[in-house]
Amino acid sequence: MAGVELHHGAASDVGLVREVNEDAFLVAPPVFVVADGMGGHDRGDVASRIVVEEFAGLAEGGYDPTQGPEVVSAALRSSQARIAEYDAAQRAAGAPDFAAGTTAVVALVIEQRTASGAAEPMWLLANLGDSRVYRCNDTLLEQVSVDHSVVQELVDAGTITAADAAVHPQRHVITRALGGQGSVAPDFFVLPLSGAERLLLCSDGVSGMIDDREIAAVLAHTSDPRDAADRLVAAAVAAGGRDNATAVVIDVVGLVPDRPYDSDAQRMSLEQKLGARP
Amino acid sequence: MTLSSYRPGGWFGVFGSVTTLLLPASEKARVAALWSLIDDGADFDEVLDALLQSGLGALPGFVLMGCGGGPTKLLARGAVHITGTADGEEVRIDGRDALTWVERSLDAVESLSLVVGDDADHGLDVEDEACGPVSDAQVDLLILGGLVRVSRVDRPAAAAPPVLAAVPDPVLVPEPVLEPTPLDDEPVTARSGPAGPLDQPIDLPDEMPEAPEASTLPPPPPPAPAPIFADDPLTAPFPPADPLTDALPDPLLDQLADAPSDAPADPEAVDHDGLTRTGAAGEEFSRELPGIPGQPAAPRIVAPVATLRFSSGEVVSVDRAILVGRAPEARRFTSTEQPRLVKVPSPLYEISSTHLEVRPGSGADHGSAVVTDMGSTNGTVLDQPGLGPEALRPGIAVQLIPGATINLGDGVTIQVARP
Repeated sequence: MAGVELHHGAASDVGLVREVNEDAFLVAPPVFVVADGMGGHDRGDVASRIVVEEFAGLAEGGYDPTQGPEVVSAALRSSQARIAEYDAAQRAAGAPDFAAGTTAVVALVIEQRTASGAAEPMWLLANLGDSRVYRCNDTLLEQVSVDHSVVQELVDAGTITAADAAVHPQRHVITRALGGQGSVAPDFFVLPLSGAERLLLCSDGVSGMIDDREIAAVLAHTSDPRDAADRLVAAAVAAGGRDNATAVVIDVVGLVPDRPYDSDAQRMSLEQKLGARP
Repeated sequence: MTLSSYRPGGWFGVFGSVTTLLLPASEKARVAALWSLIDDGADFDEVLDALLQSGLGALPGFVLMGCGGGPTKLLARGAVHITGTADGEEVRIDGRDALTWVERSLDAVESLSLVVGDDADHGLDVEDEACGPVSDAQVDLLILGGLVRVSRVDRPAAAAPPVLAAVPDPVLVPEPVLEPTPLDDEPVTARSGPAGPLDQPIDLPDEMPEAPEASTLPPPPPPAPAPIFADDPLTAPFPPADPLTDALPDPLLDQLADAPSDAPADPEAVDHDGLTRTGAAGEEFSRELPGIPGQPAAPRIVAPVATLRFSSGEVVSVDRAILVGRAPEARRFTSTEQPRLVKVPSPLYEISSTHLEVRPGSGADHGSAVVTDMGSTNGTVLDQPGLGPEALRPGIAVQLIPGATINLGDGVTIQVARP
């Protein structure tokens, strides 16, 4: 993508408990992926690697930047087909209940036409499962993706609070993923590049081990994205490392900071709009 | 406390200290919550209240049994058949005999057999032919508390038929502590078969009182070589017989033990690492997707309902959601309903990054466009023909009449015209 400079860093750690790192990530600007494989000895690491391979192909072969959602959907569908093939092969080899699966979060740069006909680069984010995308502007951290998990559904329904969700016994149960028969329709998000100076893609081994405040502190106080990714994963492992932890941090370089607003000008504007001022 | 036994099946069996609840397989959505209630020691009335929260019509069948002091209370509805003896008399209850439910209060219960689901149709046959050919699935398993899949429950625990062909290594466990009847020559048989641990989790670790007692008691005569309950990996407290599980440190084991409701209930969904896993297919949260399964839904074709003329010169027709702002963002959309983002200049930063949305209306607003302020900092003023200017309230959609003017501030206005 012409005119967009991205700096990035990535880190992944098996953690202190698991024997295999089933997470996989891709940094192939302008395409970034984190996938969290599931299934223990059912080889979730294969499923997550398949997703990363599919998107690596996308980054190498190029894609139509004006058709972002279609491009991502197609890559996810072909990942799903390959995981199903792999499952079938394993079942044929004598593992009747074989079922590998993986989450996926994807960030890639797309283009959107503006009124003047110029193409404006934007972030397209896609999410399937409980891996997450955060954005960090200045010191402000915001979770962009919405988990496909039972606890998120309960939070949305108002049954439990976000604080309850962190300790709920079903917090690891996700409602959408690649592999299996469930839906593979991801949620999409489009952000202007200026709206996300720094993006974090991470598996639940990071977001489940350290809270948002800690993530925000690391992201805000570490200027190099490579160091930021390393420190996030190290913090997750230090906090217990119960799951594979993976973080990808992406900085958009050369942005003009967006001034949030000028409160005086705004108050006047509202009065003008309402006709209270001459 | 009386020990129960069950046979694996399709219904959910929730066993607590004073109440026992059986629910059909279709009630998966609520069974975990009810387990949590019952496990906390909720009494008969509390459980009944929780069970009927969403009405009786939504509940095809159930058995609720309360035995916390006083007479044993029984409610049965649907495909449920209960037999037993109480106070020297025979008891027979069929849940299909009543429109609402059958209620019985029994004194001095000696034994009860609850047969649920399809088996209820020939429940007695199953019992009477207990000595005849019995399939592998009809193994009586002991249970003290927890959530399991059942087809039949016996209380007190059934003395199981002598030997099953598929079980190579039966283990005899005497039950002097749990059974009120004195220890005699008829020990209760618990089995662990090769297919056992995954399909039929027996119970939770802290509710396995047999283990210590069994090892201190002299082993009963034949044929058990030694009590192996706690040592045998096949009968280890956790359903997944995964080597990884054994390597887990204690905190994680505790954490797993805290979530018994999902572990034993649906072994298919158990992830072998004990952490992230997908919910079973067809769970309550998986939404119906329109169109052909396995294929992406066709894009919805919506005729434009209005045309927006921006003061910046842009003309946009409203055939999908349109997000307008200084640097608009689109949240949580699917590939078939991608919103259109329209960026408007705002040198004074009066316009919020995602200021408002215009989309084709639905329901009463069908055929016209509706505008919603997305919680903008400075608000939006709408001037509709024939009405005075009004400030939009954030999040409240307002139907647009052709000829209306939307004012976002910073000199940006949108004229609404016919498509």
